[in-house]
Formats: sequence, C-alpha cells, structure tokens
Amino acid sequence: MDLTMFMQQMVNGFSLGSMYALIAIGYTMVYGVLRLINFAHGDIMMVGGFLGYFGIVVLDLPFGAAVLLAIVGSALLGMASDRIAYRPLRSAPKISLLITAIGVSFFLENAFNVFFGGVPKAFPVPAYLENVVDIVGLTMPVSAIIVPIITAFLLAIILWVLYKTKYGMAIRALAFDVGTVNLMGIDANRIITLVFGMGSALAAVGGIFWAVNYPSVEPMMGVLVGLKAFAAAVVGGIGSVGGAVLGGLIIGFTEVVVIAFFPELGGYKDAFAFIFLILILLFKPTGILGIDFEKSRF
Amino acid sequence: MRKLAVLATSVALLASSSFAKEISVGVTMSMSGPLAAYGQTAYEGIEFANSLQPKLKNGDTVKLVLIDTKGDKVESANATTRLISSDKVVGIIGELTSTNTAQVMAIAEKKQIPVISPVATNDKLTEQKEFANRVCFTDSFQGAVVANYAAKDLKLKTAVVVVDQAQVYSLGLAKAFTDAFTKAGGKIVKEIKVSSGDKDFKAVVSQIKAANPDFMFLPMYHPEVSMIARQAKQIGLTKPMFSGDGVANQTFIDLGGEAVEGYMFTDFFDYSAPPTQRSKDFIAAYAKKTGKQEMNSFVALGADSYNVMVDAMNRCANPEDSICINKEIKSTTNFEGVSGVLTLDKTGNSTRSAVIKVVQNGKAVYKATVNP
Repeated sequence: MDLTMFMQQMVNGFSLGSMYALIAIGYTMVYGVLRLINFAHGDIMMVGGFLGYFGIVVLDLPFGAAVLLAIVGSALLGMASDRIAYRPLRSAPKISLLITAIGVSFFLENAFNVFFGGVPKAFPVPAYLENVVDIVGLTMPVSAIIVPIITAFLLAIILWVLYKTKYGMAIRALAFDVGTVNLMGIDANRIITLVFGMGSALAAVGGIFWAVNYPSVEPMMGVLVGLKAFAAAVVGGIGSVGGAVLGGLIIGFTEVVVIAFFPELGGYKDAFAFIFLILILLFKPTGILGIDFEKSRF
Repeated sequence: MRKLAVLATSVALLASSSFAKEISVGVTMSMSGPLAAYGQTAYEGIEFANSLQPKLKNGDTVKLVLIDTKGDKVESANATTRLISSDKVVGIIGELTSTNTAQVMAIAEKKQIPVISPVATNDKLTEQKEFANRVCFTDSFQGAVVANYAAKDLKLKTAVVVVDQAQVYSLGLAKAFTDAFTKAGGKIVKEIKVSSGDKDFKAVVSQIKAANPDFMFLPMYHPEVSMIARQAKQIGLTKPMFSGDGVANQTFIDLGGEAVEGYMFTDFFDYSAPPTQRSKDFIAAYAKKTGKQEMNSFVALGADSYNVMVDAMNRCANPEDSICINKEIKSTTNFEGVSGVLTLDKTGNSTRSAVIKVVQNGKAVYKATVNP
C-alpha cells in the first residue's frame, strides 16, 4: 500500500470516526448524569436527519436553515423524551429506565415507519458539499473535511460549557451526587433537561452529516450507528466527553483499517466495534479515559 | 362421531360446489425496512393482478392476506407460520430476497403449502424442495448473462467483485458470475466482502481504484450499491459498474443520483418491450389506473406469481387442495405471463428470458434481451 492510499484511508477513518464521536458524546453525557444508557439516542439522530430532509425538500429552506431546524427540533424531542418517559422514573430502578429507553427507541422507529414508509429517501445534498477536492493527491468530497472540523468546534463548545460555565458546574455536580445537588438549591430536572438538549442537538448534527455523506434517510438508519456510538462511548470511557471522541475515532479508524488491510474480512467490520467493546469491558471496564464512578465524576 | 364428521365434510363439499366462497392466498413481503422498495412494488403487481382476475373459474374469490416481514428473516418465518396456521392459506407468494425466501420455503415445505417467489434468484432455494417454486430466473443464469455480456459484447477483461456476505443472493450470484466470467476468459482481480446495512464504502472504493479493473460487478441490493456508486464517483473511480436484478428499481436511481448514470444491470422484463399480449394488456390497464406508462419489473413478476398461482388453482378440481395446486404450478408450460413466457418444471425453477438495462438520464433504459 502506497502512502497516498494510506493517507486516503486515514482521511476516510477520521471523517467516519468524527460522526460516531458526535453521537457518542450524547450517550456519555446522559450516562454521566443519569447512569442511563439512552438507547433512543441513535433514533434522535435519525429524527435529525429526517428534519433536515423536511427542511430542504418540503419547506424549501436553505441548507443552513434546515440544519438549524434539525438541531432545534431534535433538541426539543430529546428534552421531551426525558420529560415524558424518563422523569417519572427518576426514583425507579435503573433497569426500568433502560427498558423505557428501548421503548422510546422502538416508538420513534415505528412512528417514522408508519408515517413516512420504510423506503429510503434521497437526501438533497448541496452541491458545494459534494464537490470533490484534490489535496496533495488525496481526493475527497468537501464534506469529508468539514465533518471533523465541525466536530472539533462543537467539542470545544461542549467542553467550554462543562468547565467554564455555571451550568457546566451544575452538570458536573449532578454527575457527582444528585441528592446533594438538590439540597444546594439546583433544580436537577432542569439540568438533566439541558443535558438531553445538548446531547440531542449533537446527535442531530451527526444525523445531518450521516445524511450528507450517505445521501439517504430512512427510519432504521439510527440503529446500527447508535449501537456503534454506544460502543465508542464505552471504549473511550463512558461518562467522559473526551473519551467519547477518542472512542468514536478508534471505532471509525478500525472499520476503515479492517477493509484497507484485510479486504476479505470487510464484511465483519461491524464485529470489530463490538470486539473492542468486549475487550475493554474485560480488561479496563471504565474505558480508556474512563472515570471510576465510585471515586470521582467527569 | 365419525358419521358426524363424514356428514359435516359432505355438507361442506356440497356447500363449496353450490356457493362461491373466499379462498385465501398468503403474501409475505418486506413492506417496510431497508428493502421496502421491493416489497411495495411487487405487492402493487400482485394486488393489481388480483383486481384484474379476482375470481377463479368456479366462481370462488381469491383473497390476499399480506404480512409485512420488514425485510427480516425471523419475521419471514413467523409470517409464514401465521399464514398457514391461522389464516389457512392454500398457497403463498413471497418473499423477495433469497435469504428470507429460504425461511418461507422451509416452513411451507413441512406444511405442504406451495410457495411461488416472484424474484428470489438463489440457485439452492428450490433444491430438494417439493413445494418451492419461482417465476424469476436463477443466479447461475443471471451471472452467466452478465459475464458473457461483459466479456463478449463489451470486451472487458478484468473485474473486481464486491460481495454482500450477509445475503445468500449476493454470494450465489457472485459465484455464478465468477465461474462464467473466468470461463469466458476474464479475470477476477479482487473480491471484496461487505455486509448489508453498511453505508460507508470509502475504504472499499479506494481499494477498487487501486486494483484498477476494467469493470466492477456488484451483486448486491440497491441501498448498498447506490452508496458505493456515489462514493466511487467522489474519489474519481469511473469504471463501468454492473449488477444483477438487486438494483432493478427506481429507488436505486433516486438514491444514486448522477453517480449511477451509465450503470448496467440485468432485469426480468422491460415495459418498453412487452414480450406477450398479456403484458401489453397489463401495461395498458396499469397505465390507465396509475397514470404512468412505465412499470417496474417487480410489478410484472409480482403479477405473474399471482397469475401462475391462480392458473394452477383453476386446473384443480378442488382449488383448495394445496398438493394439487403445487403439482399444477410445476406443470406450467409456455404460460403467457406479464413478464414473459414462463415454463416451470419439476424443480420449481422457471425457464425465461432476461433483459439488460442501462441507466440513462435518471431512467433505466432497455438495452438487450437474452434468451436462455
């Protein structure tokens, strides 16, 4: 394999990994504050993709406005899912929450299936994102460059919110101890709503990226991506935002590398994400950048 | 007790001869899920054929009972059991993909209920099965058609094959193609395996570009192929691409956009070259109902599955006798169908022609007919 080919694959892996990372951040933040693996998160991403589609095709909005619609709509949906499905179960055993999350996931998939049908819809990608650029012998669409840049930008915002703002402090405090936070006069429910909103907004961006890179939207598109992003969050260390990004990149690179070096194993590339998951759980259950939740939070 | 049973049976027989009744035919299709485009078009054909010919010649009405398999093989198996045990169907039309059809056929075989698959092409499906039938051609025929066309007509010498290892259809067609292409003097320079459900094929297309073949053969279904075509174009890979009937639908072209211009594939039928009088009538009636001239080949194959089933039922003294229906399906000879002239033999396979199409200006255009 020559250097150009190798670099080309690295670009591919970086672009794919960034998308997993965006979605993994939502898993990790919700887990951090609620100890809930929100299995509906991948479906929020699907809704984000669909909202973008509706913005462009039905409402005839410019691409940027459609993205904004997807972000706001998904954030509201994420917050609503918490208000309706999870908040009534705050004091219930964790397993009830998990089952509810699976229920929310099935509900979203089937509702979209009923209303919009299962046939994939072609996503209208703006021409400037599909343009192919040639950088030192590497050919790639503009979107392959933009995705990691926007991911890095959004990650910076998330880290700034978590570590430099009052709300971020409240989120971190909540991850530490819910009971005490309430005693301190912080409305825990409001903060949890905020976390759902932020995570879902990122998932929407991930959904739009997904729809731009693989130009179609369909109700089941979030299932496998959601599972892999979940694996990414655990591999990186669930509860850690940096870990989610690292885990996303690892999973993305692994997929690409498997095909590049072992084409005959390409059909099993999904298995590698989960092999990582199992190995990590066996040898370092807290993940690479993981946090031991018994000792410290975030 | 036995007397009572005999009495009941004779009353039932008497009733059946004097009053027209409803006979249920089951349909198992992926109406939702990633392969919904297939199920919805094939069912459109079945339903339309049913509306044209709703009654048997003895006056009984044929009622369709549809169950959505969501493109899943477990759901396909469940649907078949339900159709046979609770809906009491006399025969089943479906499924569409070979993997799912294998499930349907395995269960129906045990219950002795005939199955007609509209488009499941894997060679092994009907092997050692008495109740398995199809109106489409098999992969060994289809693979040879592609291989010979590429090697002899287009003079292409080297190929990369991309296989979807999660689909029986893909594995079977890839093998049939490889055998035929090698025999015709071609060479497979690389075989790459992928899995259905994948969206990211950038690593795959980069590999193909490096291998630099004369053309690519992608024996897969449209969701994956459309992505491969798009991502190939993005890295400037412009070699000819060929697929089997797995991409024979408009959704493929919608998803692929400009990237699938010039794409070639084998299909069963083309509406612009109707092979029989029945196809001409069917297309005209279809155009009148839907307002559009063009008709997907899956519509025609769906209609023919229904037509062959009804034709067999008509030839049985008791149209509810599944064993007789199966026997009659297997003796269908030179049947004038919508998709062409069909002959089914004891193996349940049909002998029929194939067409080759090419995508031009966002439409699949007829290129050639290949007879067996």
